Amino acid sequence: MTDTAETREYDGIELRKVREFVWEIPQEGGMNAPARVLASDALLEQIGDDKTLQQLRNATHLPGITTYAACMPDGHQGYGFPVGGVGATDAEDGCISPGAVGYDINCGVRMIRTNLTYEDLQGNEEELVESLFANVPSGLGGGGIVEGDADTVEAVLERGMEWALAEGYATGDDLDHCEDEGRRPDARPEFVSQKAKDRGRNQLGSLGSGNHFLEIQRVTDVFDEAIADSFGLQEDQIVVLIHCGSRGLGHQVCTDYLRKIEKGHGDLLESLPDKELAAAPAGSELADEYYGAMCAAINFAWVNRQLITHRTRRVFERVFRADADELGMELLYDVAHNIAKKEIHEVGVDEDGTAVPTEDAVAHEERELYVHRKGATRAFPAGREEVPAAYRDVGQPVIIPGSMGAGSYVLVGGDESLAQTFGSTAHGAGRVMSRTAAKQEYWGETVQDELRDQDHIYVKAQSGATVAEEAPGVYKDVDEVVRVSDALGIGDKVARTFPVCNIKG
Amino acid sequence: MSEDTERTGRNATAEADDGADDSRWFELREHTADVAVAAAADSLAGVFAAVAEGLTAAMCDSIPTTGDRFEILARSESPEAALFDYLDDCIYERDVRGVLPVDHRATVRRDGEEWVVEATARGVPLADVTARDVKAVTYSEMELTEADDGWRAYVVFDV
Repeated sequence: MTDTAETREYDGIELRKVREFVWEIPQEGGMNAPARVLASDALLEQIGDDKTLQQLRNATHLPGITTYAACMPDGHQGYGFPVGGVGATDAEDGCISPGAVGYDINCGVRMIRTNLTYEDLQGNEEELVESLFANVPSGLGGGGIVEGDADTVEAVLERGMEWALAEGYATGDDLDHCEDEGRRPDARPEFVSQKAKDRGRNQLGSLGSGNHFLEIQRVTDVFDEAIADSFGLQEDQIVVLIHCGSRGLGHQVCTDYLRKIEKGHGDLLESLPDKELAAAPAGSELADEYYGAMCAAINFAWVNRQLITHRTRRVFERVFRADADELGMELLYDVAHNIAKKEIHEVGVDEDGTAVPTEDAVAHEERELYVHRKGATRAFPAGREEVPAAYRDVGQPVIIPGSMGAGSYVLVGGDESLAQTFGSTAHGAGRVMSRTAAKQEYWGETVQDELRDQDHIYVKAQSGATVAEEAPGVYKDVDEVVRVSDALGIGDKVARTFPVCNIKG
Repeated sequence: MSEDTERTGRNATAEADDGADDSRWFELREHTADVAVAAAADSLAGVFAAVAEGLTAAMCDSIPTTGDRFEILARSESPEAALFDYLDDCIYERDVRGVLPVDHRATVRRDGEEWVVEATARGVPLADVTARDVKAVTYSEMELTEADDGWRAYVVFDV
C-alpha cells in the first residue's frame, strides 16, 4: 500500500484502499492488528452507515488476533463483533470470544435437492406452503418436532446428526453432505448449563422467528456447469433451503459464558473496548469449557435442521405422492454461519514472525487458530481435508440466502479464500434497514400480496410484523454481495435460485 | 394494564427501591439487525422494569389480559450485571414456562457485595398471543446511569 492510496472516512474511521474491493483500517492505538473490509463502493457506503466499522475495529483488540479482522461484503452492525465478521485468534496464546461467535451458535443454512422441476411444482404452491407451515414448528412457543427429554438432549449434544441417523430422522447420505458430517467431536455436553438444556428441550426441530425461514426455490441460473453438476444442480430444478440455528439452547450457552468470562477474566475484559467481546484466554479452563459447550450447541443446531429436513420430506411425499428417495430429496450441503473452530492455516509472517497479510509476508507458517465466523460462511477450496469427500475435488458448497423476494446463490469455496479470509465468505444479503424502521415502511399483508401477485412467491408467517421486518427492501443487494465474493475469488458463483414458497416464524 | 400496551412513551407505576410508586417509560430504538430499548424511571428498580417492558414490546404488539404472575430472582455483582441477569431470566422463563412475560414489577436492593433483583411478571400463555422471538440480552452499548431526574438505561437485544 502506498501513501497515495485512495481513502474513505466514516465517523472518524479512515479506510485505505488496498486493491479493488479491499479496504483496510490501519492498526493504531490498542488494535492488535489492522482490519479489512471486502466491499464494492456501493456496499462500503452501506457498511459505513452504521457502527459496523467501529465494531470491526474493536474486534482487532482481541488478544492473538491474527493478520487482520475481516468484514465480509454483507457485513453490518451487530453486537460486539459485527455481523459478517471473521476473526482468527491464535489457539495457543490468543483467546476465544463467545461474543465473536454470537448468541445463535451454528445458525446456518442447508440446501436439499429434489428432482422436481418448477413445472412439477406449479399448482401445488398453496398446498405446499400451508402443509409446511402446519408441520414445521415456527415462531415463539411453537414447540419442536421432537419433545426432548433430558436423555435426548444429552444425546443430541454429544452425537449431533449421528443421533438423528440412529433415530431414523436422517440418512447416511445426509451425514456425508454436512459440514463435519453433522457432529463436532469436541462437544462437551457437561459444560452446557441445565438452564440451556431446559430451553432446548421443547425447541428441537423448530425454525424460530426473525430472519429464519424454510423456502422452496427454483434454480434459475447456472454459472459453472461443471461444478453445478458436481453439486447435482441444474436449471429449473426445485430445491429447499432451511435457515435456523440452535434456538434457546445455543443462545443460553453464549449468555452463560459471557457472564462466566466476565467474572473469571475481568482483567482481559477491561482491555477490550466492548464488554460484548468478552474473551477467555486460550488454554484457560473457561476457554476449553466454552469451546466444548459451543461445539455441543453446534451439534444441537445440526439436529434441529435435520429434524426440519425430515418433516419437509414427509410433506413433499404427501403432496407429490412419492417417497423422498423417488423425489431425489438429498442434502446438498449444510453450512454454519455463527461458529468458532480450531483450524490450521498457513499464516503469512514478516521478518519478526508477526502475522501480516500474505502480500507483505516474507514467509508462511502453519498456525492453529480459533477462526470466529459471525454471520460468515466457511468457504474452503478444493483440497482441504475438512471438505466432505463428495466435494473435496471441487471445493465446499457455500449457500448464500437472499431475501424472500430476491435470489439466493450457491457458491463454491474460492482459491483465494484461505489467503484472504481464513477460508470464509459472506453469509447472506445483510440488513440495511432496522426492524423498527421496516415496520414503519412496510405492512406485512401488503408485502405478502405483492410477492404472490407480482413474483409468484407464496409466503406464510406466524406474524405479519415478521414479514414486514423481513421485507425484501430491508436487505442489501445480494447480487452485489456475491459479485464481490466472486471477484475476490473467496467464493465463486455456481448457481442462482429464486423463491417459490417461504414460511417463517 | 390496558389490553394493548403502547410501544413507546408509556407511563406506568412500578415498585421502586423504597417501595414508592415510580414513573417510568421505554422506547424501542433503531438498530440495524437487532432491537434496542431506551428506558428511564425515577428509580433503579423502575428502570429495570421499564427495560423489561421494552423487551416485551419487542416481542409483541398487542398484549392479552390472560396469565398468572410468577417470580424472578437475580443476584449479581453489579447493577449492570443485575440488569443483564434479570433480562436473561425473563427470556429463560419465557422459553421454559411457555409464556410471554408482561406487566413487569421489580425491586432492586444491595445485599453486601451483591445486587438483588426481586421481580414478578404476568405470564401470558404463548398460545394466547402472536409473539416474535428475542434471542438474548446483550452487553453491547449497554448503559445504566443515574441522572438528576432518575435512572436511564439502554440495552440492545439480539433478535
